[in-house]
Amino acid sequence: MITATGLYKRYRKTVAVDRLSFDVRPGVVTGFLGPNGSGKSTTMRLMLGLDHGEGQTLFDGERFSDIRRPMNKVGTLLEAKPFHPTRTARNHLRMLASANGVGDKRVDEVMELVGLGTVKRKKPKGYSLGMAQRLGLAQALLGDPRILLLDEPTNGLDPHGIHWMRDMLKHLASEGRTIFVSSHLLSEMQLMADELVVIGRGTMIFNGVVDQFVRDFTQSTVIVRGPEAAGFVPALEGAGAEVAKGKDGELVISGMEIGAVGHLAFTENVELSELSTRSASLEEAFMSATGSTEEFVAAEPPTAPATEKADGADNA
Amino acid sequence: MLDALRYEWTRLTTLRSTYWLTGIGVLCALAIPVIAGFAAGGDPIDAEITAIMLNGGAAFGIPFLAVFMAIIGIFATGHEYRHGTIQPTLTALPQRSRLIMAKLLVVAVVTVVVTLVSMALNALAIAIFWGEVPGLFEDPLASALLGYLVYTLVYTLVGLGLGLLFRGVPSALVVIFLMPLIIENIILGLSFLPMADWLVPVVKFLPFSSGARLLAIEPMVIPDYDLFGRWGSGGVFAVFAALIVTAAWILFKKRDA
Repeated sequence: MITATGLYKRYRKTVAVDRLSFDVRPGVVTGFLGPNGSGKSTTMRLMLGLDHGEGQTLFDGERFSDIRRPMNKVGTLLEAKPFHPTRTARNHLRMLASANGVGDKRVDEVMELVGLGTVKRKKPKGYSLGMAQRLGLAQALLGDPRILLLDEPTNGLDPHGIHWMRDMLKHLASEGRTIFVSSHLLSEMQLMADELVVIGRGTMIFNGVVDQFVRDFTQSTVIVRGPEAAGFVPALEGAGAEVAKGKDGELVISGMEIGAVGHLAFTENVELSELSTRSASLEEAFMSATGSTEEFVAAEPPTAPATEKADGADNA
Repeated sequence: MLDALRYEWTRLTTLRSTYWLTGIGVLCALAIPVIAGFAAGGDPIDAEITAIMLNGGAAFGIPFLAVFMAIIGIFATGHEYRHGTIQPTLTALPQRSRLIMAKLLVVAVVTVVVTLVSMALNALAIAIFWGEVPGLFEDPLASALLGYLVYTLVYTLVGLGLGLLFRGVPSALVVIFLMPLIIENIILGLSFLPMADWLVPVVKFLPFSSGARLLAIEPMVIPDYDLFGRWGSGGVFAVFAALIVTAAWILFKKRDA
């Protein structure tokens, strides 16, 4: 169990993490979501005492800095390639293991577990990003900890690697471990996480189960298709629904349950070829929840000027 | 603390640079008595020449071994930041003071052992070329050799402190080379000029120059400069190292990793 209370970090005039409090329960994978620059990594560093700030994080009731041999209790993966380029991967793990009373046998075990057994005596400077992430996970698992804190562990992994990581984390959670994992791959998080902590500009946006997040930050809509769909719109709006036209000409109805739409079609004598609901994805919920808190917003791609230029060229 | 010492020992011994820096330092120091032996083997040698050969030329301004061991000291802390390993290090060993203490102890012990081995090898080379090492365990040679041991140790600790202070390798390397070779020599040179004679009282507090006086067979005397003796000068160098290490230690505790 991780209990974070009042986490706060300021860089001169910028508040990076603003009084965050949340719990991460054992037995489930808890995803940590937020746009770029929202303070996810800073929060994790604060939790581990790597950055100085305010607030307190307890790992099964203990502060990280008070834990003797912390790798046996809390496994961490924070940065993609924090390795000395000329020290072999195995020696990198041996070095960290030596501070935590972990033997060489366990080092070899975790190297095999993450699929790096054949390259364990190679230098990590030759590792791909995906291999480096696997080595990072091996590092996190060294002490067979009950708590894992992983910052973007799927970064750089190929689809097979992502699948492997997902299964691994779900398996570890099923053993009753506490898994706290940040990711920007929302579809991945939808498959992996049971609960979410969502932040934007360092402030808490949501803390709870994934389905609740999707429900809270999106609307489920009703889809209607039929030969007389366009003529059905006034009746729907008259009944208080909001109606929009979809890409393929379907009606996208919000503010009315599917049963009520069906009943209205029946009473209005409108023929329908489709009547269904559309649930929002985690990505849609995430965009809805964090849209106004994005720290770094890119300009829209300049499609219009390019077209005008092309048109101009054609006219000339 | 034992865990921290085990960590630092494993860190140091799993780095290739530890071996080649130590090897080059020892070989460079050994080259001095070997070259001297080929050039003038069998000629009578006094305590000053013997000291120069035993400390591998450090006494006349080329402290090969001290410089290479200082680089190992810089790497002990600077590498952690250069390669980002400070994060896994502090998640494996979050007690920062314990980590620094372990680094200081391990690097210091390795430096002392390597310096003793280097002196023993140089003594062996002298014995081969001259048949004996005259006055090895007698003053002033014995004190000068003890001073050399202290000098190398303090030099290395300055390197370790600078690596931690600058949180990287290049800046620390620049300071450790620039300060003794250029800055202190410029201050010493300027102090001889009448218009800059206000620098005279400063000279005896120049840290690296003071450290070099630990190796001297005869105390250096410059009229009006009132330089400290061997151990007083060594004290100046040691205080400088202590200031660097203390400042770095305090900042390490306060700064984000």
